[in-house]
Amino acid sequence: MSDLLQSLAVPFQYDYMIRAIWVSTLVGGVCGFLSPFVTLKGWSLMGDALSHAVVPGVAIAYILGFPFALGAFIAALLAAGAMALIRAQSRIREDATIGIVFTSFFALGLVLISLSPSGGVNLKTILYGNILAIADSDILQVVCISAAAILVVGFRWRDLMLYCFDANQARTLGLKVGVLHFTLLALLAAVCVAALQAVGAILVLAMLITPGATANLLTNRFGTMIWLSASISLASSLVGAYLSYYIDGATGGCIVTLQTLVFLAAFVFSPQHGLLASRRAIRACSGVLGEINQPRMNGHEL
Amino acid sequence: MNRTRNSIEVEGVSVVYPNGQQALSDASFRLEDGTICALVGVNGSGKSTLFKSIMGFVNPAAGRVRINGMPVRESLKKHLVAYVPQSEDVDWHFPVSVWDVVMMGRYGAMNFMRIPRTEDELLVKKSLERVSMWDFRDRQIGELSGGQKKRVFLARALAQGGQIILLDEPFTGVDVNTEEAIIGLLHELRKSGAIILVSTHNLGSVPEFCDQVVLINRTVLAYGPTAEVFTAQNLAAAFGGVLREFQFERSTIQSHDGRAVTVLSDDERPLVFGKDGHLEYLDRENHEELLRKRREEHE
Repeated sequence: MSDLLQSLAVPFQYDYMIRAIWVSTLVGGVCGFLSPFVTLKGWSLMGDALSHAVVPGVAIAYILGFPFALGAFIAALLAAGAMALIRAQSRIREDATIGIVFTSFFALGLVLISLSPSGGVNLKTILYGNILAIADSDILQVVCISAAAILVVGFRWRDLMLYCFDANQARTLGLKVGVLHFTLLALLAAVCVAALQAVGAILVLAMLITPGATANLLTNRFGTMIWLSASISLASSLVGAYLSYYIDGATGGCIVTLQTLVFLAAFVFSPQHGLLASRRAIRACSGVLGEINQPRMNGHEL
Repeated sequence: MNRTRNSIEVEGVSVVYPNGQQALSDASFRLEDGTICALVGVNGSGKSTLFKSIMGFVNPAAGRVRINGMPVRESLKKHLVAYVPQSEDVDWHFPVSVWDVVMMGRYGAMNFMRIPRTEDELLVKKSLERVSMWDFRDRQIGELSGGQKKRVFLARALAQGGQIILLDEPFTGVDVNTEEAIIGLLHELRKSGAIILVSTHNLGSVPEFCDQVVLINRTVLAYGPTAEVFTAQNLAAAFGGVLREFQFERSTIQSHDGRAVTVLSDDERPLVFGKDGHLEYLDRENHEELLRKRREEHE
């Protein structure tokens, strides 16, 4: 028994593992906190775009020696601005606009990285994250972003919810819809930047969508959805990072795989919106119809 | 009681979209305290653009809109304008309950964090009771029928306390009982001085519950009391050749065989509902007789 406990506690003997676990958990929680807004606003593609568009910002930040989060954040906002501009000033559809902008930014990032002095920026780190080797300065950036995101969502979630649900109602109540739009966009960009460290640019999208989608299957109330989403994401990140030590797997991959498993469980077993529940509902419904039809049939026969 | 008199003034409003499309040109009308007005026109005639300019979503290239004598922006800050959206514009899968939706009407009056006060909760309860939806308060909005959904959004406008209420196609997908309940509520609101502007392309029920009509086709063609605006000439200008496609659901006159008849048509011949639900024209003889009867009634 004590052997088992000892082996379970092994990851906590390493400083780098403890840091990887708590930073992943923090990032997971924050992504889960924002995820309901992203999924319900229909901004999944936007999240994907922003997470790729940060690459040139990170590259420039490393080359010029200022905080990577700042570079990434500015690049994400520039990308969002470019998308809004093309959308407003041309006949090109939204999906094509998003596609053009994020691939352009990503390509620019690749060029910059290949030009940068060797050892400065590591493409693999940007794409897949490297939570095990995260620097103290990077942790500080993640903590600042997370604190800001939690504060903003914590205080303004009802306004942001109204904006996602019915922007016109927000306008007629005199709320500043432009500000709400920008707030949500900036939050998305900031959280993308934070999650970059934990899971890398490719898997950021999963952190931003999967928890919200899972929670949406489990509740009919938005407030509950936020807490469910944040808890699911937090727990999967904690357990995923911890497990990655034992199976010696990629931390980001472990976290996202766990999130997907939770999503699948909700998809099948959710009491209200799961596959099994809708099957049951259909069966119950056809049962009732059968009972209604039965006497009528008899009546005809009589 | 010292209540401000409500009014909407639209003066020479022109709206041009960024793509160069002129949606409205030189549109003007004026509505005063306590009225139900239909905004009637075909699709693409500028109904929603006019709504948007009254709600301050689009800035007119020329002209101005004033609500209770104030610019639109100022009236929005006072939460004077309430809006009941079209069913197609709402995400019915959104995880909010009936209670949550109606509470959204109170956000403008709440504090920074939008935490409801007892007063807000009471208003939401009262509004839900007024549209007979209190028992459904915990339901997710998507679980309701078309008519129930409309009533919930109407309750939101009530909870907001809006004096200018804009309804976008309120009777699509709504059963007759709900339609009557909604019309009854609109009459009550009119009595309290509200101005209700109803956008619709279904002329059938307009004469029955609206006092006034704004007829629109890229500009305001005519406005005023329903009987004066609904002339063959005006309707032809608003609807052109498409008028015959519209269905008139309610009667204004009973024909001799008891069928429902209305004289609203592009060539002033009365239309009736056939047994199969299709429209048909009455013959000339009956037509003359009915018109005479109608004139007598008016006198």
